[in-house]
Amino acid sequence: MARLGVFVCHCGANIRRTVDVERVKEFANDLPGVVLSEDYPYLCSAPGQRMVEEAIKEKGLTGVVVAACSPHLHEPTFRGASAEAGLNPYLCEMANIREQCSWVHSNGVLATDKACDIVATMVEKVKRNQPLEPIEVPVQRGALVVGAGVAGIRAALDIANAGYPVTLVEKQSSIGGNMARLSETFPTLDCSQCILTPLMVQVSRHPNIELLTYSEVEEVSGYVGNFKIRIKKKPRYIIEDLCTGCDDCVPVCPVTLPNEFDMNLAWRKAIHIPFAQAVPAIYTLDAENCINSNLESESGDYRVLACEACALACGPDAIDFDQRPEIIERDVGVVVVASGFELVGSDATKQYGYGTYPDVLNGLEFERLLSASGPTLGEIRRPSDGKEPKSVVFIQCVGSRDPEHGLPYCSRICCMYTAKHALLYKHKVPDGSASVFYMDIRAAGKGYEEFVNRVMEEEQVPYVRGRVSRVVQEDGQLRVYGVDTLSGQPVQVMADLVVLATAVVPPSGSDLARQLRVPTDAYGFLQEAHPKLRPAETLTAGVFLAGSAQAPKDIPDSVSQASAAASKALEMLSKPVLDREPTVAQVNEATCIGCFDCEQVCPYLAIERKEIRDRQGALVRMVAQVNEAMCEGCGLCTSACRVRSVDVFGFNDEQVFAQLSALAPAPGGVGAEVHVPIAVG
Amino acid sequence: MVRLAESITPTVPGSDGTGWEPRIAAMVCNWCTYAGADMAGTARMTYPPNIRTVRFLCTGRIDPMFIVKAFEQGADGVLISGCHPGDCHYVQGNMLTRRRHTIHAALMDFLGLDRRRLHYAWVSASEGVKWAKVVGEVTESVREAGPLLNWGKPGASDSLRLPDPGEAPRIAPPPEVYERISVNLRQTAADLLTEEEGGVSMVIGYTPGTLPGQMVPAFVTSPDEAPTLAWSDGCGNNLSMYIPEVVKKQTDGKVGLVVKKCDAKALIGLMRENQLNREQVSVLGIPCAGLWQDGKLASKCYGCDGEATDLSDWTITAEGAQEGAATTEEQQATAPDPRDIQIAALEAVTPETRWAYWQNQFARCIRCYACRAVCPLCYCETCIADKHRPQWIPKSFDGPGNTSWNIARAMHLAGRCTGCDECTRVCPADIRLDLLNRHLSQEIETQFDYRADDSADIPPPLTTFRPDDPDEFM
Repeated sequence: MARLGVFVCHCGANIRRTVDVERVKEFANDLPGVVLSEDYPYLCSAPGQRMVEEAIKEKGLTGVVVAACSPHLHEPTFRGASAEAGLNPYLCEMANIREQCSWVHSNGVLATDKACDIVATMVEKVKRNQPLEPIEVPVQRGALVVGAGVAGIRAALDIANAGYPVTLVEKQSSIGGNMARLSETFPTLDCSQCILTPLMVQVSRHPNIELLTYSEVEEVSGYVGNFKIRIKKKPRYIIEDLCTGCDDCVPVCPVTLPNEFDMNLAWRKAIHIPFAQAVPAIYTLDAENCINSNLESESGDYRVLACEACALACGPDAIDFDQRPEIIERDVGVVVVASGFELVGSDATKQYGYGTYPDVLNGLEFERLLSASGPTLGEIRRPSDGKEPKSVVFIQCVGSRDPEHGLPYCSRICCMYTAKHALLYKHKVPDGSASVFYMDIRAAGKGYEEFVNRVMEEEQVPYVRGRVSRVVQEDGQLRVYGVDTLSGQPVQVMADLVVLATAVVPPSGSDLARQLRVPTDAYGFLQEAHPKLRPAETLTAGVFLAGSAQAPKDIPDSVSQASAAASKALEMLSKPVLDREPTVAQVNEATCIGCFDCEQVCPYLAIERKEIRDRQGALVRMVAQVNEAMCEGCGLCTSACRVRSVDVFGFNDEQVFAQLSALAPAPGGVGAEVHVPIAVG
Repeated sequence: MVRLAESITPTVPGSDGTGWEPRIAAMVCNWCTYAGADMAGTARMTYPPNIRTVRFLCTGRIDPMFIVKAFEQGADGVLISGCHPGDCHYVQGNMLTRRRHTIHAALMDFLGLDRRRLHYAWVSASEGVKWAKVVGEVTESVREAGPLLNWGKPGASDSLRLPDPGEAPRIAPPPEVYERISVNLRQTAADLLTEEEGGVSMVIGYTPGTLPGQMVPAFVTSPDEAPTLAWSDGCGNNLSMYIPEVVKKQTDGKVGLVVKKCDAKALIGLMRENQLNREQVSVLGIPCAGLWQDGKLASKCYGCDGEATDLSDWTITAEGAQEGAATTEEQQATAPDPRDIQIAALEAVTPETRWAYWQNQFARCIRCYACRAVCPLCYCETCIADKHRPQWIPKSFDGPGNTSWNIARAMHLAGRCTGCDECTRVCPADIRLDLLNRHLSQEIETQFDYRADDSADIPPPLTTFRPDDPDEFM
């Protein structure tokens, strides 16, 4: 028989002002199973909690209902107090008579009626609550970091420095990401590579980091603490241990291609290293473009070796045309996703002649022109004729903040890098003119506003507030048609070079979010668990976010989030076992009919198939089974189950029915006798 | 568990009933709407106090039967609210909810429930204003609808008469045709049961029953018994209903199954739901001129061309038996399906008339569960109707219990029923279960472009979703 205690909180005057607390207390006292009903001005205060604890001990309560505020606020408080008093915390429930009652209703009689009903439903629920214990999940010691841009590098180093093994996977042949492409960084004008390469080298030398470049995550299975990762390591056709990085293979290679690292503004060979400071400093033979056909054929039988120039030139014999993709499997406890960003080529960029006119560049292309290690060794030369542009127009918000032609969100880094571009251009071409078209200047970081002002004032770069409608090529120059919205006048500017601050978007063709079961937002950025309070976590336990994978970010924000993600990851790795919420689903194998609709609806792959065998070992039937470590307790399986062989702890069918039945007390039913006379008032 | 029996006691009863206040059960998800409702409180918005909230972790947890239970328990209105599509805390819960409740709402419409009582909304954690507005609107809507007094109550008069099925598009073939088919069927069954390699250890077919013209299921396990098999125009039972049970016990050999085209569709459902491997059955398909009872053609046969099923491993005709699926030379004449005409007639009348019609139908239910017993897709070993903790469906055969049972049955078959109409044939109370099933199948086909007899490889329609599923029901 239930022995329940009901505690009604006044919350000062917050509840008492509208709800007749005394009446709620009296009402609760008469509910079947309630042995104690008390009220108190502030239950969440220390004496209030002590009152609950003492009542549990003295009266031997088997369940507690706290009629106070939202469970989102003080459920942990009172469950903690219950646990202190020796009552299983899952036998304590909140009846929300503040946020959803006293604060939103003005009629005291009706609000009190409602408060009574709310208490009645929770009393009926608690009677059917079961004591639950946290689920313990063992944790694999080790982390996977996906993406080795600055965010991935920082997260990997943080975790590795704390003494845990890290597998760092990078799709490209070198780590460094987009930051390695940048010339100098705002607002300090540090050389990007100068600050990044030391970190890259640290990664390559770190005893706790296993670096897998030219590799991609193929499959993720398992769950928090116990992820199983399949990584595909693409063949470089180079024996990594033998390659000395001498460059002898490159001059003899007959195939020349645009260099993707240089945003296709320079050339590379089929055998190449993306940039001089690449880590690892190992060459890669691009099988798609090497003139030897079918290098990737499974059997090797149909391989045609038309050219062996690189192999002949290679002193240490590091070329191996027989390499095959390698599948590497790793077990890790946590995953940090730092998959970075791309720049979009939307309608908006076409409108400005991008892709049509060679002298219309995007931000990253201009970075390569500015970079001392870039195709022009840092001299500004325009792609069409190699001349130094004497006038450059920068256009901001190309594709961003533009729902009609692209994306509604702000790409966040463009205002700052455009200012930096204008400044660097003016430094390199002092007699040149630069102008900027902008919508608003968003310079909210430390030292950012000052930096933009410096560009406007010291460098005398004119900022035109307004939109550009189109860019047209005329006599080897570009005519930019725009409007100055401050003066209301149409503006035309002739430019030798136009630089577009195109929108930052998530990397295309990535299956990672689905593999990790992390939801994405409308644009494909990975969704954080809470935008304010859990910005580096995802709703998939054990998966964390760093850098632009979550949303467009500049370097300091990417690095901060990477360290945050690393510290969250370390929080999990530092324990031998994890405690998870026990409000998970459970299958009644006796009645399960094995239709596996539950498996179909489960977003977490938490439903497994279990064989039921007889004594001779013959298969009798298949039933569903819940992996408690993966289950999040949403209950989708429960409502998909016709036979109701699967139910969720803490929100089970019996509890729901009890609550629904308590909502409509019938004559002679639960709470009816006391309820109806009260309601007459 | 207490059910509100004869009278709904108003919350605030005035002597003349003017003090009635609507009682509304709200079922909301923890992460969006519950938090949004908290926010409305934090911002001190006001809304009517008629709502009683039950918190779930996800709207995907909200079984349509919870709505039925709320009404059964005396709620005057129900509101379901969760995260906006795409924002679900559990990735896809609200998308699945949207599908399930699209169909449940369609069923409630078809039953004639006053839709001013049933509401759905998407309210996010930041939409306190919207929550207050939604509750205000819902309360007003339920207030307009008045106290729910007719749940589980038969109407005063059953004035609605559905259109007659009309003249059958064909006449029954002469008895010789059936006799020739029977001879060929016996031969095939005997061969399959003899052949070592045929590997068939049981043939399920029909044999004459004790009443004139009656055909009953026969389970033949040896060639000697094959002569008991027969085929006629009265072979009603959908024999595929025996399959889940039989294949479970059958350790060696296949089961030969005599099926009409309409029956065979259930096999696809059984395969889809992991109750059957295709290799376990040898399908003996028979071209069928229709099911005739008392000289009348069954409704389901009007639109059927009578071909043997495509699934046939053997096609047995008056001419002989051949391996594989085969088309017959002359197809049966067809006519518009009378069930569709009757559904249209029901949709054409007012919800009140429909409600009275169905409540009168349900009032006749004696809860014999014959509909459940003959349905090939009702293969659960423990039906929720037989569960006690909690009690999903009131046991007694009164209005509320019957209403809950018939809604539960229709919902459990939504998207799965293949229209063999056996439930309707065996119903001793002549409840038009076929119209409920067919209406929901049609809803699922139009809303989700899905047919239960398509392929066994596509998942059941209510266990999947498309991000752009319609939500006009909201």
